[in-house]
Amino acid sequence: MDPAHSRKPLSPLPILLLLFLLFLPHQARAVELDQTSWEETIQAADGQTLDWYMWGGSPAINAYVNGFVAHRLKERYNITLRQVPVKDIAEVVSKLLVERQAGKSSDGSVDLMWINGENFRTCKNKGLLFGPFAQRLPNQHYVDWSRPSVYNDFGTPVEGMESPWGSAQVIMIYDTARTPVPPKSMAELITWIREHPGRFTYPAPPDFTGSVFLRQLFYHQGGGASTWQGDYSQQELSSAARATYALLKELKPALWRQGSTYPNSPVRMNTLFADGEIDFSFSYHQAEASRNILDGLFPPTVRSFVFAEGTIANTHFVAIPFNARDKAAAMVAADFLLSAEAQLEKAKAGVWGDFPAIDTTRLPRAQQQQFAELERGPATLSNRELQAHQLPEPPSRVLIYLEKGWQEQVLRER
Amino acid sequence: MSGRRFLGLAILLLVLLPFVPLLLWSVSEQWFYPGLLPQKFGLRSWSYIFSTASSQIAGGLVQSIGLSGVTTCLSLLIGIPAGRALGLYSFAGKRLIALLLLLPVIVPPLCVSMGLHLWFIRLGLAETFFGVVLVHLSFCLPYTIFVLWGVFADYNPEFEEQARCLGAGRLQTLVRVTLPFIFPGLCLAALFSFLLSWSQYLSTLIIGGGKLLTLPILLFSLMDSGDRPVAAAVSLLFVLPALLVLLANGRLLGRQGLSGVR
Repeated sequence: MDPAHSRKPLSPLPILLLLFLLFLPHQARAVELDQTSWEETIQAADGQTLDWYMWGGSPAINAYVNGFVAHRLKERYNITLRQVPVKDIAEVVSKLLVERQAGKSSDGSVDLMWINGENFRTCKNKGLLFGPFAQRLPNQHYVDWSRPSVYNDFGTPVEGMESPWGSAQVIMIYDTARTPVPPKSMAELITWIREHPGRFTYPAPPDFTGSVFLRQLFYHQGGGASTWQGDYSQQELSSAARATYALLKELKPALWRQGSTYPNSPVRMNTLFADGEIDFSFSYHQAEASRNILDGLFPPTVRSFVFAEGTIANTHFVAIPFNARDKAAAMVAADFLLSAEAQLEKAKAGVWGDFPAIDTTRLPRAQQQQFAELERGPATLSNRELQAHQLPEPPSRVLIYLEKGWQEQVLRER
Repeated sequence: MSGRRFLGLAILLLVLLPFVPLLLWSVSEQWFYPGLLPQKFGLRSWSYIFSTASSQIAGGLVQSIGLSGVTTCLSLLIGIPAGRALGLYSFAGKRLIALLLLLPVIVPPLCVSMGLHLWFIRLGLAETFFGVVLVHLSFCLPYTIFVLWGVFADYNPEFEEQARCLGAGRLQTLVRVTLPFIFPGLCLAALFSFLLSWSQYLSTLIIGGGKLLTLPILLFSLMDSGDRPVAAAVSLLFVLPALLVLLANGRLLGRQGLSGVR
């Protein structure tokens, strides 16, 4: 044994002490909130203003948050909800990073944020989050934490650092007036693309929706979703990724504009689809097609489907930053969002049509019935149909690897 | 005369034509290819703005007008003396100062804002109204100063001396001689400043940190939605005040140019 090793048992103490002193103000507050009972948390939240930073691109979601949620929070808990709509929540993550760097460890303006995947991973790794808090929310017992898409957020263990809000699943969108018989699997879709040149495209990764299509194709080429959940070697990953890029390169001439360009967002893709330039769109939101029919953006003949082998699904969450000013209000709000009432309202097709984050079978019979009787909208598949066809997300490492590879292999080689 | 009228009409048409699709989109309920006009008209987007999001949008409007107004006034207060010094006097290091003044325009706004953010947090300026005014000023001032520099380069200070000789006080000289002379340039500088501040998104977001929800912040977050009717309605709302300022400015400029004083 070298001397450095023999001295080791002694050294952590001063370091820990130093760390403790360094984070004393922040930690002290956190512990304080950790030990209070739920009633005390509700009392602390009384009169607080909750600044909720979230992607603000959807009028429907904005209306749900500023209407239903804001009113209930005010009525029940005297919490004033102030929604801060942003273009991309990553902007807020970098803001928190700068605040961490500048030593602003309390009194931060972000109380709650809507995140998942990469942004959650960054926040968790850089210590930008308050928590764990999720277990302390009373409505937590409606959540089925054993589901892989709930306890793992894109391969990052959640560990109570964020609380689920809703779930999403990829669906394919088509117009029955143009395509009476859509392909039923990825293999059939690939054949269809070859037979109908110029009628299919996908948003360029790293766009969220384009990226999930890439992963869906990666599962198809790489031996299915289960291969990538547990142990896999770097070699397996690179060979499956190579097969994916090869297929996409081969398909290029059959894509919209011969693959010389790609839509930059799902929104652009939806527009191309609505304008009749392409025959398929797809979305990481089960009710997207119905929603767009309702808003008059898609013709009423549009429908959606999932692949026989399944489509990728995930959960989206809310999290509380380390320096949030109104942590109690944030926790109360996160808990309210999980209530059967809030989840039911959110699931209505005319409101948002987002799928519940809670396991509805854990609810009392009467409330289960309400979920079962929901108006689904003309183009949304049934819960049963969707849940029977869900695939988990691969770890974020795979996601980043594929996005990078796509840029280098598929995009650059025009 | 009729030729001039035709020209005026053509210019008006060129300016207003792009707004026609925006207006149509904002009142459309369904509009699919290949229809030249919307298949179904409706007020969904306007009702979103005036009922669902009304308090947010009204707040944004007030916030934006306040910010741009204060920024414009401050940038004129700083810009007039600076422009005068640069336009009327030659001194050592003038080119260096010109370069320094241009820097915030040359360096990408993202870098300027992010660099300032860290400092603003330490100084307690982040997430305050004044902090956002300061960061807007860093983008507006170069334009204000350069416009006024040009104005003062053509300016003859002897008129002021003449007025003083004839018994005018300092204030009287300023109000009755200097300001009328530079008025058109002043309007132009104010216009630049207002429009630049009005359309700031990134710097408001970074320094304001979501505390100041201006119209561009609300607009940009909605632009992404692909909901064309709502985006069109918000765009119109965003353009309207800027258009009003532009028109008012055009009238002021037309009323009294430099030639009118000569």
